[in-house]
Amino acid sequence: MRETKDMRRDFANRDELIAYVKAEFPKAVAVDDHVSKVKGGRAAAKRLMERIDPQTYAQTRNKLHGAVTKLSPYIRYGVVSLVEVREKALDKVRRRRNDAEKLINELAWRDYWQRVYARIGERIWSDQEDYKTGFTAHHYADFLPEDIAEGKTGLNCIDGFAKELRETGYLHNHARMWTAAYVVHWRRVKWQAGARWFLSHLLDGDPASNNLSWQWVASTFSQKPYIFNRENVERNTNGIYCKGCALYGHCDFEGSYERIERELFPNMPASIARPVDNPSRPFSSRPYKGGKKPKGRR
Amino acid sequence: MADKVVIWVHGDCLAPNNPALTAYEGSPALFVWDDALLESWQISLKRIVFMYECLLELPVIIRRGDVAAEVLAFAKEHGAVKVATVTSPSPRFKVIAAEIEKAIEVELWEVEPLVDYDGELDTKRFSRYWAVAKEFAFGRG
Repeated sequence: MRETKDMRRDFANRDELIAYVKAEFPKAVAVDDHVSKVKGGRAAAKRLMERIDPQTYAQTRNKLHGAVTKLSPYIRYGVVSLVEVREKALDKVRRRRNDAEKLINELAWRDYWQRVYARIGERIWSDQEDYKTGFTAHHYADFLPEDIAEGKTGLNCIDGFAKELRETGYLHNHARMWTAAYVVHWRRVKWQAGARWFLSHLLDGDPASNNLSWQWVASTFSQKPYIFNRENVERNTNGIYCKGCALYGHCDFEGSYERIERELFPNMPASIARPVDNPSRPFSSRPYKGGKKPKGRR
Repeated sequence: MADKVVIWVHGDCLAPNNPALTAYEGSPALFVWDDALLESWQISLKRIVFMYECLLELPVIIRRGDVAAEVLAFAKEHGAVKVATVTSPSPRFKVIAAEIEKAIEVELWEVEPLVDYDGELDTKRFSRYWAVAKEFAFGRG
Protein backbone atom coordinates (compact mmCIF):
# COMPACT_ATOMS: atom_id res chain seq x y z
CA MET A 1 0.00 0.00 0.00
CA ARG A 2 1.40 3.34 -1.04
CA GLU A 3 1.83 5.87 1.73
CA THR A 4 0.60 9.43 1.35
CA LYS A 5 0.83 12.21 3.83
CA ASP A 6 -1.61 15.09 3.86
CA MET A 7 -0.06 18.37 4.83
CA ARG A 8 -1.55 20.44 7.63
CA ARG A 9 -4.41 22.89 7.23
CA ASP A 10 -5.29 23.53 10.88
CA PHE A 11 -3.31 26.60 11.83
CA ALA A 12 -4.40 28.78 14.73
CA ASN A 13 -2.66 31.81 13.24
CA ARG A 14 -0.15 33.02 10.65
CA ASP A 15 2.85 32.45 12.91
CA GLU A 16 1.92 28.80 13.28
CA LEU A 17 1.61 28.44 9.50
CA ILE A 18 4.98 30.12 8.95
CA ALA A 19 6.69 27.85 11.50
CA TYR A 20 5.22 24.79 9.79
CA VAL A 21 6.22 25.92 6.28
CA LYS A 22 9.74 26.69 7.52
CA ALA A 23 10.04 23.18 8.94
CA GLU A 24 8.62 21.52 5.81
CA PHE A 25 10.52 23.55 3.20
CA PRO A 26 14.09 23.97 4.49
CA LYS A 27 15.44 24.45 0.96
CA ALA A 28 13.17 27.47 0.44
CA VAL A 29 14.33 28.84 3.80
CA ALA A 30 17.92 28.42 2.61
CA VAL A 31 17.16 30.46 -0.53
CA ASP A 32 15.76 33.26 1.63
CA ASP A 33 13.81 33.16 4.90
CA HIS A 34 11.86 36.41 4.77
CA VAL A 35 8.06 36.30 4.96
CA SER A 36 6.06 39.02 3.23
CA LYS A 37 3.42 41.07 5.00
CA VAL A 38 1.29 40.51 1.91
CA LYS A 39 -1.23 37.84 2.82
CA GLY A 40 -2.39 35.24 0.33
CA GLY A 41 -5.99 34.31 -0.38
CA ARG A 42 -9.10 35.56 -2.10
CA ALA A 43 -10.38 37.51 0.89
CA ALA A 44 -7.25 39.68 0.79
CA ALA A 45 -7.55 40.04 -2.99
CA LYS A 46 -11.17 41.15 -2.70
CA ARG A 47 -10.22 43.86 -0.23
CA LEU A 48 -7.68 45.20 -2.75
CA MET A 49 -10.26 44.98 -5.55
CA GLU A 50 -12.53 47.32 -3.59
CA ARG A 51 -9.74 49.88 -3.56
CA ILE A 52 -9.13 49.93 -7.32
CA ASP A 53 -9.17 53.52 -8.58
CA PRO A 54 -8.72 53.38 -12.38
CA GLN A 55 -8.53 57.14 -12.92
CA THR A 56 -5.90 57.82 -10.26
CA TYR A 57 -4.09 54.70 -11.44
CA ALA A 58 -3.83 56.12 -14.95
CA GLN A 59 -2.34 59.36 -13.63
CA THR A 60 0.07 58.02 -11.01
CA ARG A 61 0.98 54.43 -11.77
CA ASN A 62 4.55 55.22 -12.86
CA LYS A 63 5.27 56.77 -9.46
CA LEU A 64 6.56 54.40 -6.82
CA HIS A 65 3.83 55.64 -4.51
CA GLY A 66 1.18 55.81 -7.21
CA ALA A 67 -2.25 54.19 -7.03
CA VAL A 68 -1.22 50.75 -8.29
CA THR A 69 -3.56 47.89 -7.44
CA LYS A 70 -1.07 45.45 -5.83
CA LEU A 71 -3.21 42.67 -7.29
CA SER A 72 -0.42 41.03 -9.31
CA PRO A 73 0.34 38.16 -6.85
CA TYR A 74 -3.35 37.22 -6.76
CA ILE A 75 -3.72 37.43 -10.53
CA ARG A 76 -0.58 35.33 -10.98
CA TYR A 77 -2.03 32.37 -9.06
CA GLY A 78 -5.49 32.76 -10.53
CA VAL A 79 -6.94 33.77 -7.15
CA VAL A 80 -8.79 36.46 -9.08
CA SER A 81 -9.18 36.48 -12.85
CA LEU A 82 -8.39 39.29 -15.27
CA VAL A 83 -12.09 39.42 -16.14
CA GLU A 84 -13.04 39.91 -12.48
CA VAL A 85 -10.54 42.77 -12.13
CA ARG A 86 -11.74 44.35 -15.37
CA GLU A 87 -15.37 44.18 -14.33
CA LYS A 88 -14.58 45.72 -10.93
CA ALA A 89 -12.59 48.50 -12.63
CA LEU A 90 -15.44 49.21 -15.06
CA ASP A 91 -17.94 49.29 -12.18
CA LYS A 92 -15.75 51.79 -10.37
CA VAL A 93 -15.92 54.19 -13.33
CA ARG A 94 -19.64 53.49 -13.92
CA ARG A 95 -18.82 51.56 -17.07
CA ARG A 96 -17.17 54.57 -18.78
CA ARG A 97 -14.56 52.63 -20.73
CA ASN A 98 -12.21 55.55 -21.31
CA ASP A 99 -11.74 56.04 -17.58
CA ALA A 100 -10.55 52.44 -17.13
CA GLU A 101 -8.64 52.15 -20.38
CA LYS A 102 -5.13 52.41 -18.91
CA LEU A 103 -5.79 49.77 -16.26
CA ILE A 104 -7.40 47.40 -18.74
CA ASN A 105 -4.48 47.92 -21.09
CA GLU A 106 -2.19 46.76 -18.30
CA LEU A 107 -4.38 43.70 -17.70
CA ALA A 108 -4.01 42.99 -21.40
CA TRP A 109 -0.22 42.92 -20.99
CA ARG A 110 -0.66 39.99 -18.62
CA ASP A 111 -2.96 38.29 -21.14
CA TYR A 112 -0.44 38.97 -23.88
CA TRP A 113 2.53 37.49 -21.98
CA GLN A 114 0.47 34.38 -21.19
CA ARG A 115 -0.37 33.92 -24.86
CA VAL A 116 3.28 34.25 -25.84
CA TYR A 117 4.16 31.69 -23.13
CA ALA A 118 1.59 29.28 -24.53
CA ARG A 119 3.22 29.68 -27.93
CA ILE A 120 6.90 29.37 -26.98
CA GLY A 121 6.83 27.13 -23.87
CA GLU A 122 10.28 26.38 -22.43
CA ARG A 123 11.83 28.76 -24.95
CA ILE A 124 10.70 31.44 -22.52
CA TRP A 125 14.25 31.01 -21.13
CA SER A 126 15.92 31.58 -24.52
CA ASP A 127 16.65 34.86 -26.28
CA GLN A 128 13.70 35.44 -28.56
CA GLU A 129 15.87 37.63 -30.78
CA ASP A 130 19.46 38.93 -30.83
CA TYR A 131 20.44 41.74 -28.49
CA LYS A 132 20.16 45.14 -30.22
CA THR A 133 22.92 46.62 -28.07
CA GLY A 134 25.85 46.05 -30.40
CA PHE A 135 26.87 43.11 -28.18
CA THR A 136 26.10 39.43 -28.62
CA ALA A 137 24.86 37.11 -25.86
CA HIS A 138 28.35 35.84 -25.06
CA HIS A 139 29.43 39.35 -24.04
CA TYR A 140 27.06 39.06 -21.07
CA ALA A 141 27.93 37.29 -17.80
CA ASP A 142 26.03 34.14 -16.86
CA PHE A 143 25.57 34.88 -13.17
CA LEU A 144 24.22 37.71 -11.08
CA PRO A 145 27.04 39.47 -9.22
CA GLU A 146 26.71 39.03 -5.45
CA ASP A 147 26.81 42.73 -4.68
CA ILE A 148 23.55 43.18 -6.59
CA ALA A 149 21.65 40.37 -4.88
CA GLU A 150 22.99 41.43 -1.49
CA GLY A 151 22.17 45.10 -2.02
CA LYS A 152 25.77 46.25 -1.76
CA THR A 153 26.39 48.12 -5.00
CA GLY A 154 26.53 51.46 -3.23
CA LEU A 155 23.69 52.78 -5.40
CA ASN A 156 20.91 53.67 -2.96
CA CYS A 157 18.13 52.99 -5.45
CA ILE A 158 19.34 49.62 -6.72
CA ASP A 159 20.29 48.45 -3.22
CA GLY A 160 16.93 49.60 -1.91
CA PHE A 161 15.11 47.65 -4.61
CA ALA A 162 17.15 44.49 -3.88
CA LYS A 163 16.27 44.77 -0.20
CA GLU A 164 12.59 45.36 -0.90
CA LEU A 165 12.49 42.43 -3.30
CA ARG A 166 14.07 40.11 -0.73
CA GLU A 167 12.01 41.28 2.23
CA THR A 168 8.58 41.84 0.67
CA GLY A 169 8.48 39.83 -2.54
CA TYR A 170 7.15 42.89 -4.33
CA LEU A 171 8.62 45.65 -6.48
CA HIS A 172 6.81 48.44 -8.25
CA ASN A 173 6.94 47.98 -12.01
CA HIS A 174 9.21 50.97 -12.54
CA ALA A 175 11.66 49.63 -9.95
CA ARG A 176 11.68 46.29 -11.78
CA MET A 177 12.54 48.05 -15.04
CA TRP A 178 15.33 50.13 -13.53
CA THR A 179 16.79 47.13 -11.72
CA ALA A 180 16.62 44.96 -14.84
CA ALA A 181 18.25 47.64 -16.99
CA TYR A 182 21.01 48.09 -14.41
CA VAL A 183 21.70 44.34 -14.29
CA VAL A 184 21.68 43.77 -18.05
CA HIS A 185 23.07 47.02 -19.47
CA TRP A 186 25.20 48.65 -16.80
CA ARG A 187 26.63 45.35 -15.44
CA ARG A 188 26.34 43.42 -18.70
CA VAL A 189 24.77 40.32 -17.17
CA LYS A 190 22.49 37.95 -19.11
CA TRP A 191 18.82 38.72 -18.54
CA GLN A 192 18.28 35.06 -17.56
CA ALA A 193 20.38 35.56 -14.41
CA GLY A 194 18.26 38.52 -13.38
CA ALA A 195 15.02 36.74 -14.26
CA ARG A 196 15.97 33.77 -12.06
CA TRP A 197 16.72 36.15 -9.18
CA PHE A 198 13.33 37.86 -9.49
CA LEU A 199 11.54 34.52 -9.83
CA SER A 200 12.98 33.36 -6.50
CA HIS A 201 11.50 36.29 -4.66
CA LEU A 202 8.57 37.93 -6.42
CA LEU A 203 5.23 36.80 -5.00
CA ASP A 204 3.84 37.35 -8.50
CA GLY A 205 6.83 35.63 -10.14
CA ASP A 206 5.74 33.90 -13.31
CA PRO A 207 8.00 32.98 -16.24
CA ALA A 208 5.67 34.66 -18.71
CA SER A 209 5.48 38.23 -17.38
CA ASN A 210 8.84 38.05 -15.65
CA ASN A 211 11.10 36.60 -18.34
CA LEU A 212 9.49 38.39 -21.24
CA SER A 213 9.74 41.71 -19.43
CA TRP A 214 13.42 41.07 -18.76
CA GLN A 215 13.80 40.24 -22.46
CA TRP A 216 12.00 43.45 -23.33
CA VAL A 217 14.47 45.46 -21.24
CA ALA A 218 17.43 43.49 -22.62
CA SER A 219 16.23 44.02 -26.23
CA THR A 220 15.93 40.31 -27.03
CA PHE A 221 12.16 40.82 -27.29
CA SER A 222 11.99 44.45 -28.40
CA GLN A 223 13.48 46.79 -30.93
CA LYS A 224 16.01 48.45 -28.65
CA PRO A 225 17.31 48.24 -25.08
CA TYR A 226 15.49 50.03 -22.26
CA ILE A 227 17.59 52.48 -20.28
CA PHE A 228 16.87 55.21 -17.74
CA ASN A 229 18.68 58.08 -16.06
CA ARG A 230 18.94 59.50 -12.57
CA GLU A 231 16.45 62.27 -13.27
CA ASN A 232 13.86 59.63 -14.17
CA VAL A 233 14.43 57.71 -10.91
CA GLU A 234 14.43 60.89 -8.84
CA ARG A 235 11.21 62.19 -10.37
CA ASN A 236 9.27 58.96 -10.00
CA THR A 237 10.42 58.20 -6.45
CA ASN A 238 10.11 61.72 -5.00
CA GLY A 239 13.86 61.54 -4.61
CA ILE A 240 13.75 59.13 -1.68
CA TYR A 241 16.70 57.10 -2.96
CA CYS A 242 18.74 59.93 -4.42
CA LYS A 243 18.52 61.98 -1.20
CA GLY A 244 21.37 60.77 0.95
CA CYS A 245 22.95 58.60 -1.74
CA ALA A 246 26.73 58.85 -1.45
CA LEU A 247 26.93 58.74 -5.24
CA TYR A 248 24.46 61.58 -5.85
CA GLY A 249 25.63 63.79 -8.71
CA HIS A 250 28.15 61.26 -9.96
CA CYS A 251 26.29 57.94 -10.07
CA ASP A 252 26.13 55.57 -13.05
CA PHE A 253 22.82 57.03 -14.13
CA GLU A 254 23.77 60.70 -14.53
CA GLY A 255 23.31 62.57 -17.77
CA SER A 256 21.11 62.53 -20.82
CA TYR A 257 19.71 59.39 -22.36
CA GLU A 258 21.75 60.05 -25.48
CA ARG A 259 24.98 60.20 -23.52
CA ILE A 260 24.19 57.11 -21.46
CA GLU A 261 23.27 55.23 -24.60
CA ARG A 262 26.57 56.15 -26.26
CA GLU A 263 28.52 55.05 -23.20
CA LEU A 264 26.67 51.79 -22.65
CA PHE A 265 26.39 50.74 -26.29
CA PRO A 266 29.37 52.09 -28.22
CA ASN A 267 28.86 49.48 -30.93
CA MET A 268 25.11 49.89 -31.30
CA PRO A 269 24.16 50.08 -34.98
CA ALA A 270 22.99 53.57 -35.95
CA SER A 271 19.80 52.09 -37.36
CA ILE A 272 18.84 50.94 -33.85
CA ALA A 273 19.97 54.07 -32.04
CA ARG A 274 17.48 56.06 -34.09
CA PRO A 275 14.44 57.26 -32.17
CA VAL A 276 11.60 54.82 -31.71
CA ASP A 277 8.35 56.66 -32.19
CA ASN A 278 5.96 54.44 -30.37
CA PRO A 279 7.65 52.40 -27.68
CA SER A 280 5.62 49.62 -26.12
CA ARG A 281 6.48 48.50 -22.64
CA PRO A 282 7.80 45.82 -20.32
CA PHE A 283 6.92 44.82 -16.76
CA SER A 284 4.08 47.22 -17.11
CA SER A 285 5.16 50.82 -17.24
CA ARG A 286 5.98 53.35 -19.92
CA PRO A 287 9.67 53.15 -20.62
CA TYR A 288 12.05 55.46 -22.32
CA LYS A 289 13.55 53.68 -25.29
CA GLY A 290 15.06 56.53 -27.20
CA GLY A 291 13.37 59.19 -29.24
CA LYS A 292 11.67 61.99 -27.39
CA LYS A 293 12.64 62.13 -23.77
CA PRO A 294 9.60 62.04 -21.50
CA LYS A 295 9.20 65.40 -19.83
CA GLY A 296 7.57 65.29 -16.41
CA ARG A 297 4.03 64.06 -16.10
CA ARG A 298 2.19 63.07 -19.16
CA MET B 1 -25.06 7.93 -11.03
CA ALA B 2 -22.43 10.27 -12.42
CA ASP B 3 -18.86 9.06 -12.84
CA LYS B 4 -16.63 9.85 -9.92
CA VAL B 5 -14.32 12.82 -10.45
CA VAL B 6 -11.38 14.24 -8.55
CA ILE B 7 -10.15 17.80 -9.05
CA TRP B 8 -6.50 18.70 -9.49
CA VAL B 9 -5.87 22.23 -8.31
CA HIS B 10 -2.51 23.67 -9.42
CA GLY B 11 -0.68 26.92 -8.86
CA ASP B 12 -2.29 28.81 -11.72
CA CYS B 13 -5.87 28.35 -10.48
CA LEU B 14 -5.98 29.03 -6.73
CA ALA B 15 -9.48 30.53 -6.69
CA PRO B 16 -12.29 28.94 -4.68
CA ASN B 17 -14.49 29.63 -7.71
CA ASN B 18 -12.18 28.12 -10.31
CA PRO B 19 -14.28 26.45 -13.02
CA ALA B 20 -13.28 22.87 -12.11
CA LEU B 21 -14.11 23.36 -8.43
CA THR B 22 -17.39 25.03 -9.39
CA ALA B 23 -18.37 22.30 -11.88
CA TYR B 24 -17.72 19.49 -9.38
CA GLU B 25 -18.51 21.17 -6.10
CA GLY B 26 -18.04 18.74 -3.23
CA SER B 27 -15.77 16.39 -5.17
CA PRO B 28 -12.39 15.53 -3.63
CA ALA B 29 -9.74 18.07 -4.64
CA LEU B 30 -5.96 17.89 -4.41
CA PHE B 31 -3.07 20.34 -4.57
CA VAL B 32 0.48 18.96 -4.85
CA TRP B 33 3.61 20.97 -4.05
CA ASP B 34 5.95 20.29 -6.97
CA ASP B 35 9.18 19.81 -5.00
CA ALA B 36 11.34 19.54 -8.12
CA LEU B 37 9.96 22.80 -9.49
CA LEU B 38 10.39 24.66 -6.20
CA GLU B 39 14.03 23.63 -6.17
CA SER B 40 14.67 24.28 -9.83
CA TRP B 41 13.20 27.80 -9.62
CA GLN B 42 14.89 28.39 -6.23
CA ILE B 43 11.60 29.50 -4.74
CA SER B 44 12.05 31.41 -1.48
CA LEU B 45 10.02 30.97 1.70
CA LYS B 46 7.78 34.01 1.24
CA ARG B 47 6.36 32.66 -2.02
CA ILE B 48 5.42 29.36 -0.40
CA VAL B 49 3.77 31.07 2.58
CA PHE B 50 1.72 33.25 0.21
CA MET B 51 0.57 30.25 -1.80
CA TYR B 52 -0.17 28.24 1.33
CA GLU B 53 -2.46 31.02 2.53
CA CYS B 54 -4.28 30.90 -0.79
CA LEU B 55 -4.66 27.12 -0.42
CA LEU B 56 -6.14 27.38 3.06
CA GLU B 57 -9.18 29.12 1.54
CA LEU B 58 -9.76 26.22 -0.86
CA PRO B 59 -11.43 22.86 -0.16
CA VAL B 60 -8.30 20.91 -1.05
CA ILE B 61 -6.12 18.18 0.37
CA ILE B 62 -2.49 19.34 0.27
CA ARG B 63 0.34 16.95 -0.56
CA ARG B 64 3.82 17.16 -2.07
CA GLY B 65 6.19 15.32 -4.38
CA ASP B 66 5.79 14.08 -7.95
CA VAL B 67 2.63 15.82 -9.10
CA ALA B 68 1.37 13.32 -11.68
CA ALA B 69 2.02 10.36 -9.36
CA GLU B 70 0.24 12.06 -6.46
CA VAL B 71 -2.78 13.01 -8.58
CA LEU B 72 -3.06 9.46 -9.89
CA ALA B 73 -2.76 8.00 -6.39
CA PHE B 74 -5.46 10.42 -5.17
CA ALA B 75 -7.76 9.47 -8.06
CA LYS B 76 -7.26 5.81 -7.19
CA GLU B 77 -7.98 6.38 -3.49
CA HIS B 78 -11.33 7.88 -4.47
CA GLY B 79 -12.13 5.42 -7.22
CA ALA B 80 -12.30 8.28 -9.72
CA VAL B 81 -12.57 7.78 -13.47
CA LYS B 82 -11.74 11.37 -14.37
CA VAL B 83 -9.47 14.21 -13.23
CA ALA B 84 -10.84 17.72 -13.75
CA THR B 85 -8.53 20.70 -13.78
CA VAL B 86 -8.01 24.20 -15.20
CA THR B 87 -5.79 24.89 -18.22
CA SER B 88 -2.46 26.70 -17.99
CA PRO B 89 0.04 27.93 -20.61
CA SER B 90 2.88 26.45 -18.54
CA PRO B 91 4.82 23.75 -20.42
CA ARG B 92 5.27 21.86 -17.14
CA PHE B 93 1.49 21.77 -16.72
CA LYS B 94 1.18 20.21 -20.17
CA VAL B 95 3.77 17.54 -19.34
CA ILE B 96 2.07 16.65 -16.03
CA ALA B 97 -1.41 16.61 -17.57
CA ALA B 98 -0.15 14.32 -20.37
CA GLU B 99 1.40 12.00 -17.78
CA ILE B 100 -1.89 11.78 -15.87
CA GLU B 101 -3.81 11.24 -19.09
CA LYS B 102 -1.84 8.07 -19.81
CA ALA B 103 -3.79 6.46 -16.95
CA ILE B 104 -7.06 8.37 -16.63
CA GLU B 105 -9.19 10.91 -18.48
CA VAL B 106 -8.26 14.56 -17.89
CA GLU B 107 -10.98 17.16 -18.32
CA LEU B 108 -9.74 20.71 -18.90
CA TRP B 109 -11.69 23.79 -17.84
CA GLU B 110 -10.89 27.31 -18.92
CA VAL B 111 -11.11 30.52 -16.97
CA GLU B 112 -13.02 33.18 -18.89
CA PRO B 113 -10.33 35.01 -20.93
CA LEU B 114 -9.85 38.77 -20.84
CA VAL B 115 -9.89 38.78 -24.63
CA ASP B 116 -12.73 36.54 -25.72
CA TYR B 117 -11.72 36.16 -29.33
CA ASP B 118 -11.61 32.90 -31.28
CA GLY B 119 -9.47 34.08 -34.17
CA GLU B 120 -5.69 34.10 -34.48
CA LEU B 121 -3.90 36.82 -32.46
CA ASP B 122 -0.47 37.90 -33.69
CA THR B 123 1.75 37.87 -30.57
CA LYS B 124 5.03 38.90 -32.21
CA ARG B 125 4.70 42.30 -30.54
CA PHE B 126 2.16 43.71 -28.07
CA SER B 127 1.15 46.42 -30.53
CA ARG B 128 0.08 43.82 -33.11
CA TYR B 129 -1.84 41.86 -30.49
CA TRP B 130 -3.50 44.99 -29.09
CA ALA B 131 -4.57 46.21 -32.53
CA VAL B 132 -7.01 43.28 -32.59
CA ALA B 133 -7.45 42.47 -28.88
CA LYS B 134 -8.48 46.00 -27.90
CA GLU B 135 -11.93 45.50 -29.37
CA PHE B 136 -12.55 42.49 -27.09
CA ALA B 137 -10.58 43.35 -23.93
CA PHE B 138 -13.30 45.59 -22.52
CA GLY B 139 -15.93 42.86 -22.57
CA ARG B 140 -19.42 43.25 -23.84
CA GLY B 141 -21.02 45.13 -20.97
